[in-house]
Amino acid sequence: MVKKKIQIAVALAGNPNSGKTSLFNALSGAHLKVGNWPGVTVEKFEGFADYGGYSIKITDLPGIYSMEAYTPEEKVARDFLMERMSDVVVNVVDGTSLERSLYLTSQLMDMEAPLVVAVNMYDEVEHEGIKIDVKQLQKLIGCHVVPVSAVKKSGIEALFDHIIRVYEKKIEVLKNKTEYREQIETAVDEMSQVISTDPEISGKYSARWLSIRLLESDQTAYTLLKERAIWIRLGRIAEEKLRLIEADGQGAAKGKITADRHAFARGAVKETVRLPREEKATITDIIDSFVINRFVGIPFFLFVMWLLFQMTFTLGEEPMKWIASFFALLSASAVKFIPAGLGRSIIVDGILAGVGGVVVFVPNILLLFLGLSFLEGTGYMARAAFVADKFFHKIGLHGKSFIPMVTGFGCSVPALMACRTLKNRGDRLATMMVIPFMSCGAKLPVYILLIGAFLPQKSAGTMLFAIYLFGVLVAIGAAKLFKSTIFKGESEPFVMELPVYRMPGFQYILVQMWIKAWMYIKKAGTTILAASVIIWALSNFPVDKGINLTYESRAKAVMSDNSIKPYDKPALLTSIENERLSEQLKNSYAGMIGRGIEPVIKPLGFDWRIGVSLVAGIAAKEIVVSTMSTIFSLGGSDKNTEALKERLRQDKVFTIPAVLSMIIFVLLYVPCIAATTIFHKEAGELKITLFYIGFSMATAWLMAFLVYRATLIFIH
Amino acid sequence: MKMSELKSGDRAEVLSIVQGTEVARRLADMGLTMGARFKVIRKAPLGDPMEIKIDRFLLALRLEEAGQIEVKLLEKPARAVKVKQNG
Repeated sequence: MVKKKIQIAVALAGNPNSGKTSLFNALSGAHLKVGNWPGVTVEKFEGFADYGGYSIKITDLPGIYSMEAYTPEEKVARDFLMERMSDVVVNVVDGTSLERSLYLTSQLMDMEAPLVVAVNMYDEVEHEGIKIDVKQLQKLIGCHVVPVSAVKKSGIEALFDHIIRVYEKKIEVLKNKTEYREQIETAVDEMSQVISTDPEISGKYSARWLSIRLLESDQTAYTLLKERAIWIRLGRIAEEKLRLIEADGQGAAKGKITADRHAFARGAVKETVRLPREEKATITDIIDSFVINRFVGIPFFLFVMWLLFQMTFTLGEEPMKWIASFFALLSASAVKFIPAGLGRSIIVDGILAGVGGVVVFVPNILLLFLGLSFLEGTGYMARAAFVADKFFHKIGLHGKSFIPMVTGFGCSVPALMACRTLKNRGDRLATMMVIPFMSCGAKLPVYILLIGAFLPQKSAGTMLFAIYLFGVLVAIGAAKLFKSTIFKGESEPFVMELPVYRMPGFQYILVQMWIKAWMYIKKAGTTILAASVIIWALSNFPVDKGINLTYESRAKAVMSDNSIKPYDKPALLTSIENERLSEQLKNSYAGMIGRGIEPVIKPLGFDWRIGVSLVAGIAAKEIVVSTMSTIFSLGGSDKNTEALKERLRQDKVFTIPAVLSMIIFVLLYVPCIAATTIFHKEAGELKITLFYIGFSMATAWLMAFLVYRATLIFIH
Repeated sequence: MKMSELKSGDRAEVLSIVQGTEVARRLADMGLTMGARFKVIRKAPLGDPMEIKIDRFLLALRLEEAGQIEVKLLEKPARAVKVKQNG
């Protein structure tokens, strides 16, 4: 008979960089589940283990320094702990930096949660010659204290034992609490008594905790209590007590509570920790004295960024080619087996092209996030921000904005996803909005075509560099504009821990990488596919039967015309077919849109045909080139670039100012469907996405207009 | 003196921090409160932010934020004194 095991829900709470995630991995082995916390784009990690006849579910909460929450991640952790959503809370503390860690512990003690403290990195503690009196510490914080080392996998079983003992309420340690100054304690006691009379509240939250938070003027506690009947009494008491506590003129109650917590942490460390007499330089100190010093700091930083970029895009190129040829093969077989017509067209040009366009980015995303998780895991990421912050702070962004912006030169999709490392919403949105101005790889074919057709070969390199630079300058200008207007004041203060260098676990990196790639495939796949089909439909409907008939009869005439030599016929037929496609495109919805927007794009030197190409380019920037070859009657293939260049040179619309204007427009206008979809996903608000589309369109139009007019004057 | 005026290698103690800002709260969460002792490790290659060591961990903050922290200089590094004498 199989008896269903009782489940114990355990939450891991602790400072960032306390080794919480490695402990999580050590506890749960490979049995983990990754999801999302409801309502926010914060990943939720759950692990499962069987121990001592129980099934143990472990939730890894985002790292926090205290219960003050600033970011969505921190709010998730705070709410989880506050609402006591687990049976046991394991507080992971860094044994080598106990004083700071115990500050959070003191708050967890206030919450009266069933607590086990895991002193992590115990191997390093011993290695550095630090002595911790665990028994005494246990007495002081009033809960089980277990030395563990997640890396060396020691103390894991002991931790499980203690979790179960706490769950079974076989607690051997006397409860203790953070002792605040007397005035505060009396206030807390009185308020707790009132809160206890509200069973609904006191059943869910700790009365002591809520009382303390009220004295700290915490908004969350206030919102929770102000609607309750007890507030009439409680609010009055709180007000009166606050007046009493603050009567000495020595500052707010909040500051006093914080000071007492620190005093507690400091005292506990003084009583239990013996540091080695001599402070040796750690490995971290030695590495840092090289990688972030005054001379090597910036070159090394640039080197790392270069390496990341190379890895993402150079290493990703081969698998991208495999994926592309795999989809080419699929299309070829579809062409072979499905008779020509709308059905084939929707499968080949709509669905396969759309799905292929999505999947092709997967190698880039995997590689970028492999690199990013590695940098994050080792501890260099914080240092990169440290090195770059001054420059980025000047243009209104954050040191951490650098990585997404560099990535943007390759592809906006992973770059926008990389913005998650920016915790502040204003910083993140401002960075996201300027990323597409960093010219991505897909725009390159357009530049190469236009530069190749109209500018001397010698200056091609300089011209390309100028285009990229122009994009960067527009990005900087836009960032400054955003941060001084709509995102004014919304900036993350640069207060950041530089964690000790560590070798990240292999599993951690793989999991991180996989989550990002899967999220991309799942969320973007559906939307991008739908959008690709829509753009396909716009370019293929309505079908004008009259045009088809005209060209079919012309083709027939060629076939039956004996005056034309047989080996000339295929070329003639192709050109007739190309003309037909061009005519159809002209009369399609895309063609109508192109003609419809002609008045708007005329000031930029464009005609409706360029308009159609730009509209089609919203699906993917490379499509600008293939659409141009269709509309300028060269067939759908973009292989024949020399012929296309020749054709463009003969066309009156392509004056030098118009060419430059088009390059600028392509550089700046709304990015491809994939990037826009990801933007929306990451920004999370339709309002912001719409604003962003409008903003990039307006910027592109304005800049192209200025360039067009300026070069017109210059040339004449 | 202000924390932002310290040079690398200096050891100092926090006297007071301008209260009521998010920065102050964050710093308090990380252990930088009245009476905390720390050592300035370095400034970033571009001169800002600065890096300090407090309770065996490393913390980076911008000079702008460090300007809101009043400190008492405890000890200058031996090396820096020597350089001064030579110059």
